[in-house]
Amino acid sequence: MSFSIRVAHLYGDLMNTYGDIGNILVLQFYAKQIGVTVTSKVVSLEEDFQADAYDFAVFGGGQDFEQSIVAKDLQTKKKELIKFIEQNKPLVAVCGGYQMLGKYYVDAEGRKLPGISAMNHYTEQQHEHRFIGDILIKNAATGQEYHGFENHQGVTYLGENEHPLGKVLKGYGNNGTDGTEGAVYKNTTGTYFHGPIMARNGNFAVHMMFQALETKYPDTDFTEMKNQVQISGY
Amino acid sequence: MSFKSNLATMAGKSSYWFLHNFMGGGSSLPGKITTKIDPDVLHEMGKNYDVIIVSGTNGKTLTTALIVQVLQEKYDKVLTNKTGSNMVQGIVSTFLESSRPTAGKKGIAVLEVDEANVKPIVEQLRPKMFVLTNIFRDQLDRYGEIYTTYQKIIDGIKLAPDALVVANGDEAIFNSKDLPNPQVYYGIKHQAATDDRKAAPNTDGVLCPVCQHIIHFHYITYANLGDYFCPHCGFKRPDLKFSVNEISAKTPTNSRFMIDGHAYQIEIGGTYNIYNALAAYAVGREVGINPTQIKHAFETNQRIFGRQEEINVAGKEVTIILVKNPVGTNQVIDLLATESEPFSFIGLLNANYADGIDTSWIWDGEFERLPNMNIKQFETGGKRYRDITLRLQVAGVPAEQHRIQPDLEKVVADIPNMPTKKVYILATYTAMMQVRAILTKKGYIKGVKK
Ligand SMILES: [Zn+2]
Repeated sequence: MSFSIRVAHLYGDLMNTYGDIGNILVLQFYAKQIGVTVTSKVVSLEEDFQADAYDFAVFGGGQDFEQSIVAKDLQTKKKELIKFIEQNKPLVAVCGGYQMLGKYYVDAEGRKLPGISAMNHYTEQQHEHRFIGDILIKNAATGQEYHGFENHQGVTYLGENEHPLGKVLKGYGNNGTDGTEGAVYKNTTGTYFHGPIMARNGNFAVHMMFQALETKYPDTDFTEMKNQVQISGY
Repeated sequence: MSFKSNLATMAGKSSYWFLHNFMGGGSSLPGKITTKIDPDVLHEMGKNYDVIIVSGTNGKTLTTALIVQVLQEKYDKVLTNKTGSNMVQGIVSTFLESSRPTAGKKGIAVLEVDEANVKPIVEQLRPKMFVLTNIFRDQLDRYGEIYTTYQKIIDGIKLAPDALVVANGDEAIFNSKDLPNPQVYYGIKHQAATDDRKAAPNTDGVLCPVCQHIIHFHYITYANLGDYFCPHCGFKRPDLKFSVNEISAKTPTNSRFMIDGHAYQIEIGGTYNIYNALAAYAVGREVGINPTQIKHAFETNQRIFGRQEEINVAGKEVTIILVKNPVGTNQVIDLLATESEPFSFIGLLNANYADGIDTSWIWDGEFERLPNMNIKQFETGGKRYRDITLRLQVAGVPAEQHRIQPDLEKVVADIPNMPTKKVYILATYTAMMQVRAILTKKGYIKGVKK
């Protein structure tokens, strides 16, 4: 049997500020090791997003201007995106993408823009200050540590039915006060880890890849494939 | 000149004289002394000059040097800020160091100006012309949004509404705002406008400034530059007054092309440098210098292209190229694709402040093109060798051709054993400085000796 993962690169032409595309490249890299095909398509402004057409989604961060345009268009994809998430399909959302999946976010100019409430967090803006630097977190469920780089002015607070991606060991995380970083709801992960969170954290990439495969092929036992993968995280 | 300005100029000049003769330097300190006494001093000094300002995020330095070269075909002396001091104080220093133009005759000045310094400079000097190269996002900036950067530049341009704006017509953002100024555009028009394509997903600045849909291109020269159009509202590239109509040959060290039907060549590779030459051509034509004189200017002083020096390391021809962001890296990768001989590739990544502390940008570099080139050996190193190593692995570089060597001393020691005569080193700023220091210590680079 041959396996495949179809990736939706949400607004890949507008929301790709910090190498977000690396997540897709790395997914392809690990999938190749186990003979799984990965195809990727940019789904952008005024383009149809069908939950059933994809097995994995990546949603990056953008410049303020681009984000304000995307925030409007995203409302037209809201229903299908929520369907996608509710079907337990993995979605990795970084920075702006993470903020927009929540209830609302306030941008650098103080405008409050609605998200799609697929998750229950919300994002405010801090004044004249940004969280910039290396970050290290630990995931409570798996004990895995993830490291990366954060650079954000938005401060995010988690809501109902979601738990943090990790506890902050070094850095700021969601808001610099409650020690949380990112948000996980079903198989959707939002995070402030710049761009290629999956590149620097091979363990996380492989975890998300098998979530996609197990959701798509529920009757297949992937244990052997899991043992085959060589993780090159750094 | 007011008494205060006069005094300020004297103080500045004597500090320049002091620094120059006793400290062996002096680029912006005299400027600091002068502007402290009278901030209007630039205004006083600038009155004697016709000023051309060159701004944009990339290519300012070479474009400025090329414009100077072209203008020298007509003017005896062209004032310019050579040291790369492109902020207010550095420019004050530039004027202080120069001797006054002959009485009753205006001099000409070509100044490279940092994007955020255009406005304060224009407030003091009434320029006759602005030259705009491009606007790319700089990873070192806090957020460095292209729109805010452009806004900073036009806030300055609007203060001199009579000045001619000579802008890169292939850059959509330069066509996005109405300016009171007269404007002309230059660009590359070497292909028919028949194709309809979008930029690669990870390209910045692809929203139509009029209707906010994704812009399309008939062709792309690099990044988001090219013959753009918006299928939604009809926004499109403006008419080009000056254009490259053919790119005849490209190698890493030479480019041959036609502008308005005249053949030119420059001793440097890279499409971005063809744009720089084109900008200089446009300025030359606007001030009445003819195409033959411009050709002469491009071929006269080859040293201005000398940024990518070739270093002989035990018989290997080593070229070190600075990389710091995706657009620049992709230009370099483009350059390597024009190399006809087999070569070795070394990628060195540091993440100190001067390099940019966030290394995410490497994922936007088109390293996937490397395995298709005639590269016999790859080596990765530097403080963040893990990042760059994985990047090349993901790009498909075969493990058996790929050495991993974090220690830069050892990287340099490996060079003589590389399987090719040519070696290209791509390095971030501090990695490049470290490698140069090692090469100097080993005697491969001759230090400045007295
Ligand atoms: Zn349009």
